[in-house]
Amino acid sequence: MGNLLKSELFKLKKDTSFKKLTLALMLIAALFPLIASIYGTEQISVNELFLTIIGKNNYVLKLIPCLLAGYFIASEYSLGTMKSIASSGNSRIRIYISKLMVFSFGAIIFSVILPIGMTGTGAILSQFNDMPDLKYFAQIIIFTMLYAAAFASIMMLFATMFTDSGKTIGLLILIFLLFDGVMFMLASKITLFEYIYNYSVFKLSYDFININALESIEVFKLAIVPIVTYVIFGLLGVLAFQKKEIK
Amino acid sequence: MKDCVLKTNQLSKQYKHQVALNKVNLSIEKGSIYGFIGQNGAGKSTLTRLVTGLAMPTSGTVELFGETDERRLIQARKRIGATIEQPAIYPHMTAAENLEAHRLLKGVPGKECVQKTLALVGLHDTGKKKAKNFSLGMKQRLILAIALLGDPEFLILDEPINGLDPMGVVEIRELLKKLNSEKGVTILISSHILSELHLLATHYGFIHKGELIEQMTLHQLEDKCQQYFHIKVDNTEKAATIIETVLSTNDFEVMPDGVIRLYKYLDQPTKVSTALVNAGLIIEQFKSMGQDLESYFTKLIGGIQHG
Ligand SMILES: Nc1ncnc2c1ncn2[C@@H]1O[C@H](COP(=O)(O)OP(=O)(O)OP(=O)(O)O)[C@@H](O)[C@H]1O
Ligand SMILES: [Mg+2]
Repeated sequence: MGNLLKSELFKLKKDTSFKKLTLALMLIAALFPLIASIYGTEQISVNELFLTIIGKNNYVLKLIPCLLAGYFIASEYSLGTMKSIASSGNSRIRIYISKLMVFSFGAIIFSVILPIGMTGTGAILSQFNDMPDLKYFAQIIIFTMLYAAAFASIMMLFATMFTDSGKTIGLLILIFLLFDGVMFMLASKITLFEYIYNYSVFKLSYDFININALESIEVFKLAIVPIVTYVIFGLLGVLAFQKKEIK
Repeated sequence: MKDCVLKTNQLSKQYKHQVALNKVNLSIEKGSIYGFIGQNGAGKSTLTRLVTGLAMPTSGTVELFGETDERRLIQARKRIGATIEQPAIYPHMTAAENLEAHRLLKGVPGKECVQKTLALVGLHDTGKKKAKNFSLGMKQRLILAIALLGDPEFLILDEPINGLDPMGVVEIRELLKKLNSEKGVTILISSHILSELHLLATHYGFIHKGELIEQMTLHQLEDKCQQYFHIKVDNTEKAATIIETVLSTNDFEVMPDGVIRLYKYLDQPTKVSTALVNAGLIIEQFKSMGQDLESYFTKLIGGIQHG
């Protein structure tokens, strides 16, 4: 398993889309506070900056890794390189899990660049003016990582089924953009959907921002749902991959 | 019987509307170079995909290094190097990076094997050039290098010579021969062109419409394809003596029906006929027989189609 992980990490490091997206996010993380501090009338509050970012970071969690899913996962099939991987003498389960782990790692990196990077830049620029509560900050970062991984697990299942970069990216973005709206509509008609939606990572990914105001049972729900989602979609992915005929 | 690296037992693969392989019993001896020949769509790639575990058989089994159990088969695949159909490389990586990704994947120790393998296929001077900017022949070499990484005991090469220039074909052929003779690597190489494999393979398997129609050694194939004069005269014994004495050769056979097969003087038919006529023999039949590999192959397939 170690060699598979090493190989996947090597490929992630060399992946053009991964490099470019990381760079773009880092630029935004540096420039946004810089512009705010240059053009803002009063000194920036790091806490406010942090709260603004984590409100918006939901899009980064859901959309940016869709691109990586296309280039890093689906492309292995369209390029034919999956043939070498699948015939390399490693079991399909291990191959899938290694790739899932490294892909999730990539998605996690994307997910924390803005909250950590922007907050950091803001802190330096404002000389640590009105810093966010450290415990809250740490909690948010941990939950951001959890949800990024859960979304990544869902994305990887679809990428494995679609096996074409363009199709994967297009359909994933569509799914992740429309899911909330579709579920909202269905929930208004059938209560079962409301129930499902309320326990889904899609809904809960909006909720963890309020973690400091929640009871511990709610916090537990926030933590357990992404973990279960990660595992279930991981298993579904393994099943799909094991049956797959690789061209 | 010699050890077999690969054996298939009644191996079949059926797609919805298509039998891609039908009860194939193929065996590849250790140390041989097995030329796997069939037209487009015959089932060559399907077989290699079943052997490498990219697809599952509908029925029948694959035996690799004596292993048939699924788990052990996966382990056994660590000992093979395979390229299956079109170039499978990472376009945004250099040749060395492509190899490094596969070295890690296969768990081959030591980075130095990357440069060594690149040198082996003649790609050591491609430097920072990305694989997407390689020519088709360079891509083929890179794929071959990937397959060669980690000194596999068994190479499975599906149409590896596509896109190589004549020099490249010779070069790669020599490389494969060397690997075979020096390191004892067993090779399965598929192609739809028999002549492409002729100077390389020691064993042949002919596949047509999913059926393995014939397996033979190079020797047997050469026998079938040998050119000779088919000579029938009124006195076979006398003719044999004349050939031995006047034409001074032993390179002929007398068939049970009295026909003589002469393998010499193929370019001098008059010399042969004159010698026989001068000895007072009456020539009843005199014709040039035999075939080249390609026409043998065509006939083999034709026989299947019409019979
Ligand atoms: N996934 C699939 N679904 C349906 N039919 C398939 C599939 N893969 C292969 N086939 C069919 O199986 C047959 C054998 O195909 P295969 O690729 O093994 O041929 P081949 O001998 O490698 O041909 P070529 O020389 O063109 O590479 C073909 O008729 C092909 O259409
Ligand atoms: Mg083929």
